[in-house]
Amino acid sequence: MVKRILIAGSVAALVAANAGEVAAQGFKPTRPIEFLVHTGPGGGNDLLARAISNIVEKEKLLPVRMQVTNKTGGGGITAMSYLSEKKGETHTIALFANTWVNGPLMSKEAKVTLKDLTPIVRLVTEPGVIVVKADSPYKSLKDFIDDAKKQPGQLKQSGGSIGSRDNIVRQLLMKNTGTQWAYISFPGGGERRAALLGGHVQIMVMDPQEAGEHLRNGSLRILAQIAEKRMASLPDVPTVPEAGFNIPNYLVIRGVVGPPDMPAEAVKFWEAFFAKVAKTAAWKKYLQDNLFEDGFQTTAELVKFVDVFTEQARTVLKDAGVKIYR
Amino acid sequence: MEIFSGLLQGFAVALTPVNIMWCFIGCFLGTIVGILPGLGPPATIAMLLPLTFQMNPTSAVIMLAGIYYGAKYGGSTTSILLNVPGESASVVTCLDGYQMARNGRGGAALGIAAIASFIAGTFGVIMLMLVAPPLAKFALAFSSPEYFALMCMGLAMVVLLAGKSMVKALLAMLVGLWIAGMGTDLFTAESRFTFGQAELLDGIDFVVVAIGVFALGEVLGNMETREGVAMLPVPKGLRNLLPNVEELKACRFAFLNGSVVGFIIGILPGAGSTVASFISYGIEKAVSKHPEKFGTGVPEGVAAPEGANNAETGGAMVPMLTLGIPGSGTTAILLAAFILWGLKPGPLMIQDNPELFWGLVASMYIGNVILLILNIPLIPLFAQILKLSQYVLYPIIFGISVVGVYSVSDSLFDLSLLTFFGLLGYCMRKLDYPQAPLILGLVLGDAMERALRQSLMMSQGDLSILVSRPLSAGMLVLTALVLAVPMFRKANAWRMKAID
Repeated sequence: MVKRILIAGSVAALVAANAGEVAAQGFKPTRPIEFLVHTGPGGGNDLLARAISNIVEKEKLLPVRMQVTNKTGGGGITAMSYLSEKKGETHTIALFANTWVNGPLMSKEAKVTLKDLTPIVRLVTEPGVIVVKADSPYKSLKDFIDDAKKQPGQLKQSGGSIGSRDNIVRQLLMKNTGTQWAYISFPGGGERRAALLGGHVQIMVMDPQEAGEHLRNGSLRILAQIAEKRMASLPDVPTVPEAGFNIPNYLVIRGVVGPPDMPAEAVKFWEAFFAKVAKTAAWKKYLQDNLFEDGFQTTAELVKFVDVFTEQARTVLKDAGVKIYR
Repeated sequence: MEIFSGLLQGFAVALTPVNIMWCFIGCFLGTIVGILPGLGPPATIAMLLPLTFQMNPTSAVIMLAGIYYGAKYGGSTTSILLNVPGESASVVTCLDGYQMARNGRGGAALGIAAIASFIAGTFGVIMLMLVAPPLAKFALAFSSPEYFALMCMGLAMVVLLAGKSMVKALLAMLVGLWIAGMGTDLFTAESRFTFGQAELLDGIDFVVVAIGVFALGEVLGNMETREGVAMLPVPKGLRNLLPNVEELKACRFAFLNGSVVGFIIGILPGAGSTVASFISYGIEKAVSKHPEKFGTGVPEGVAAPEGANNAETGGAMVPMLTLGIPGSGTTAILLAAFILWGLKPGPLMIQDNPELFWGLVASMYIGNVILLILNIPLIPLFAQILKLSQYVLYPIIFGISVVGVYSVSDSLFDLSLLTFFGLLGYCMRKLDYPQAPLILGLVLGDAMERALRQSLMMSQGDLSILVSRPLSAGMLVLTALVLAVPMFRKANAWRMKAID
């Protein structure tokens, strides 16, 4: 009798101990996972996806394989509509980036927004730096803004498409200071940098990894960093608000999203799974090598964040004179 | 002396058995990727990236670079044999290469393509080694106004690509320019000519148009004629399959032209090998003693673009290695790979990793030799394809075209576009419209429009920016000269008649 009570007791204890895990394991992947990205091979999200699937494979975090699929086109819109057609599917997930938020705002053809899909977690945020050539007369962001005030519209910035962070930061700065300078779009990162290094434009927003090498070589100077707080690798460079310009910190984000109507237990599973990935040493090393920041957010946090983030982009883009469709 | 010791060090790295093996694997994979239309080096390198994480970075870059320049060797094969461009830069090779094959000189065309690739590829490496740092500065002096002038020069080549009728050539070019304008506008994020189709937001892929207009158009046209093309003549014996002395002699200038043009355009981050191949073909035709024979299967018409296409590799490595600036899709992925291996691409990379730079340079010399040895024996094998009769060959071309187009972006929509452009190519053949100007307009239109708008944004709408900068002004003058070539020719012909 005593024995039986003991057994019953230990079984109960075991059940209680496992309850948390069991709830998360209501769903278990049984087939290869389709891991969708909107960039071609070698693009930002493609490299991130391949790095993740590499970590997952090495650390044996999944019983099945993660297969990266590229659905390029329309700055993410093709991938988004592909994902939206997989209603309720549990084995297809995708990496999203800023363009999944901004793209649908600016495109008549888009039929889906990030909110129509199932946001799961946010993984990284990427800081940026505002740079000039080393022989430029501007020693601080204030120098540049002052000069822009003196000759409105004459100074130039090179950058990507009009919906990119480069332009959004410019818009925020121009609105804050009442200045104007030109923005010249280049499709490739190489051409943007060449325009700055060749002296054809005066200023540019760059990713810190690339700027770091030019800094070491003495060909560029960083005026300010676009980050919540100073990066460990750039302890002496002020953030934009520290440089005297109180604009909101516009983030470059990357995270995971599922198709519409993904069952709750699958969402839970993937949320817990990516929380586990984000804790591995390999992931931390990856972030460090690329000078990314750990921007992990749970599903609940992310859903709220997407609303705020979309509103921010809509306001800025409208101010920039971009046609907003939704 | 520094170069000498560096190169010695490089060969010490590249000649280790392991690195020779990786170099061979890269070249071999590259050749295959080049032969298959659609799947290009960027996609291949991205797929292979995870495998290289465990490798020594130098070995890895030797292999991946091998894929890059190896694909350029292979790209000409299907252009010459089947009129299916294996990759975008091989479109120009179709013009004379395919005609050579139809004249029974398919093997010779393949041989000339391989030799031109070898000479220009090696030239590119030598230049990369000797003058990389000063040339990187030249690349930076190039900005939007200069690119606009360069694209104008490219577009002016249309007068040289035109067949009998200049009007028809210009019309075809305009259609190409129109197609190039489709998709999302970079500057305003608005969509143009998408007809509400999300699939058209990125415009139409160049590969779809090129394969449709060239390969499918050709097949449809040939199926109609039936007689005469049942079997293409393939001479017996290895000796007759390879280029003969006269053919090689005819190509002397083309080898040099392709090498120089390809390398210079390769350095510029905003141009690319397709532009390089068009321009070198145009130059070749402009200086030729028998320009009227271009398009009927002259060996120079194969040697110049193939050379340009291969020298471009060495050029594109200049800004990549000295500044960390990618000039093409493939170099962008190679740079991303450097970061994954823990290297820091940027202006100090050569200084920090001399063994990698010199190892890569040395391996490219070795790789070019490997490719030549690999490609020449394949010629008799590939030439056998031409012996196949129509009802076997045409379905193969259809199959290769469909698979090639589908592999670019896994899109069924692209296949319906392919059908459309196949029919367009057929109609153009029937109505005697040249196809090359359409492709030229399509290749250059996008970059040209962008460069013009960027220039005008820089100058706040002042057009004089295009002529006030010496480099762009110089190129615009050259453009005017190119446009005047046919007039000179005509005037000359009249004078000759008058003398007679």
